[in-house]
Amino acid sequence: MRIDRRAALTGVLALFGTSVFAPLARAAQMTAAQLIPDGPPSVAVFSPAQRALMTALSERVIPTTDTPGAIAAGVPDFIEKLLADWASPTDRVPILAGLDALEARSQQDHKVAADKATPEQQDALLTLAMNGGFPGGKTFFEAFRQLVITGYYTSEIGITQEREYLPVPGEYNGAFPYAQVNKVYSA
Amino acid sequence: MAATNRFDAIVIGSGVSGGFAAKELTEKGLRVLMLDRGRMVEHGEDYPYDGKPAYDVPARNVMPKGLQERDYFIAKRGYVQPSNMGFYNNDRLNPYAFDEGSKFYWIRPGAVGGKSLIWGRWSFRWSPQDFEANQREGVDGAWPIGYDDLAPWYARVEDYIGVSGSRENLPYLPDSNFQPPMPMNVAEKWLKSQLEAKFPGRKLIHTRLSNMTEDKPDQGRTKCQFRNQCGNGCSFGAYFSTQAVTLPAARATGRLTLQSDAVVTSIEYDAAKKRVTGVRYVDAKTGQAQVVQADLVFLCASAMGSNQILLNSRAPGSERSHFDSSGTLGRYVMDHIFRVGVEGEIPGMTDLIEYGRRPGGVYIPRFRNLDGEEGVGFRRGYGYQGSARREPAAPVGFGAAMKHGMRRYGPWKFSMGAFGECLPYKDNRVSLHPSKVDRFGVPLMRFDVTFRENELRLIADARVQGEAMLRAAGLQNVKSSEGDHVPGDAIHEMGGARMGADPRTSVLGSFSQAHDAPNLYVTDGAQMASASCVNPSLTFMALTMRAADHAVKQLRA
Repeated sequence: MRIDRRAALTGVLALFGTSVFAPLARAAQMTAAQLIPDGPPSVAVFSPAQRALMTALSERVIPTTDTPGAIAAGVPDFIEKLLADWASPTDRVPILAGLDALEARSQQDHKVAADKATPEQQDALLTLAMNGGFPGGKTFFEAFRQLVITGYYTSEIGITQEREYLPVPGEYNGAFPYAQVNKVYSA
Repeated sequence: MAATNRFDAIVIGSGVSGGFAAKELTEKGLRVLMLDRGRMVEHGEDYPYDGKPAYDVPARNVMPKGLQERDYFIAKRGYVQPSNMGFYNNDRLNPYAFDEGSKFYWIRPGAVGGKSLIWGRWSFRWSPQDFEANQREGVDGAWPIGYDDLAPWYARVEDYIGVSGSRENLPYLPDSNFQPPMPMNVAEKWLKSQLEAKFPGRKLIHTRLSNMTEDKPDQGRTKCQFRNQCGNGCSFGAYFSTQAVTLPAARATGRLTLQSDAVVTSIEYDAAKKRVTGVRYVDAKTGQAQVVQADLVFLCASAMGSNQILLNSRAPGSERSHFDSSGTLGRYVMDHIFRVGVEGEIPGMTDLIEYGRRPGGVYIPRFRNLDGEEGVGFRRGYGYQGSARREPAAPVGFGAAMKHGMRRYGPWKFSMGAFGECLPYKDNRVSLHPSKVDRFGVPLMRFDVTFRENELRLIADARVQGEAMLRAAGLQNVKSSEGDHVPGDAIHEMGGARMGADPRTSVLGSFSQAHDAPNLYVTDGAQMASASCVNPSLTFMALTMRAADHAVKQLRA
């Protein structure tokens, strides 16, 4: 390969200099694992009280039944990581507002911190939100339920225990009896 | 052939066209340098999320919003996910331009293999009518070749890569040399019988897909395993990609040199001899520019990428490309118009579900204007790609009842999207930005491409007919939707360096070679003089194989 010295001199080295070029070149080579770092949330989205309530409510949305529930599936950590680093900052607003409203409502109705309330009391609080029983309640409920569902059904427990996962199906049957599996296949 | 050149031919780009060019030219004995501007991706070992479920992919395989808006704000239109983003272009680092009112989505890959790693894989032959329509209708841009010129090359490509599909004997959608089709599911079979009974002449057929249904042991490739995670890279090599199919073949000759991160900026030209002499490129990692020489150049940098390189190949101080003596370079740019969706529920069959995740689906081929203009208010036509699926039941309430309710499936739903032909318009053009350059010193591409009245009428008809067909077939809750029609969005962009018989009105001749330089071939989407309404990649491959055959015969003549 013949290097054209004149071309090299008049090329981008001359235009940009290596100090600018190298970081751009490295950025173009970044992989998903580098661009989407794992690890703890970069900011604390929740106060300790909010986190405790969010955790308790996630389990009320998807409780442990014959399969593990939201807490076992790591949903609370997923929600905080997502709101800290993967979602838009504005996505936190209705969640935080809703948690605070539920906390106030629990103190008023049940005279207890919402995360310490009984499961039945927490279900009543969620029902109140679902039915729009306080301003912002419906918005909170829809957004929060969506977070829990996303976190749960993309977790290992959700994909492989609650649902059935076929890593390599190997064949396709477009008329397969549901009764043979009695659950949903993960995508 | 100059004895001093290290390479006999340079192939620019490594997608469906570039990979085929490299395979064909090396197998015919040429020493080939293949350059790609993207990062290196080796088959298998560089598919980090092949076979990985969401919990093993960063961010559960949903693009983080900040990253998406910063670096992948165009790629997000092209199905980028964390699991495949290593194959995509970074939009922040590689800008382009358009004026207000001429929005264009230039959705690009960023790795060796080009879009062959991330394409939709629907593979159709074009019909005789597709090649004849411009001339018959008096539309600017008569093809210098017809279906018969391409048919044997289609067959060779199909036999090599493996295309699954069903023989239908439709004159307007010629059969390929097929492997067996992927099965329809029970709901699609029902819909087929209903629809074809209500609408004589309209068909619902198996998809035609580059996912194989039979092994190709001689290529080390295994048939589709029904994972439907194709875009993550497929270590089985079940679908056509450069990595799985053409790159191994080219490497096996011992005559291929592949250089990644090599951004070709222009093609070197000897004006006296009217021949290209090599290419100029920048190493994306170091910024070093260099020229490499060869007596044959295959330009396969993607339709719009090839236009940019052609436009930027010009004498110092000149605004006109060496390859634009016709004045048509950059013009007649097209894309399919496709943001119309139609869906409905298929009643019954609720005890049956799908086992396995089938890629592809079913196809309703074009039925409009098959014998010329039928007075429906527009020219040409459209086809629909769709599938019937059952989604998990939607959540109701919360708690154990919701959780267990979601263990059921909802009804069978059929959804489909239309792909419509776009006519070639002289003033749908791309050009080089007069003042802005990218980090490699290349003027930005500027797009001035819009859909016109014919395309908008056509897609409006697709919406009406789609609803009518699904309703008449007996589907319930039939709904349709329409999105913004932005050229580039279908990722079927074509044209700009069209093929034609007359050097005064076209850039390329009938074997994809430049009128202004017979040792330069452009064999990707840039060469297309019309767009058909079917997916174009198979045609690019066949044209590339045909051009390579011609080029080597010319070299040895």
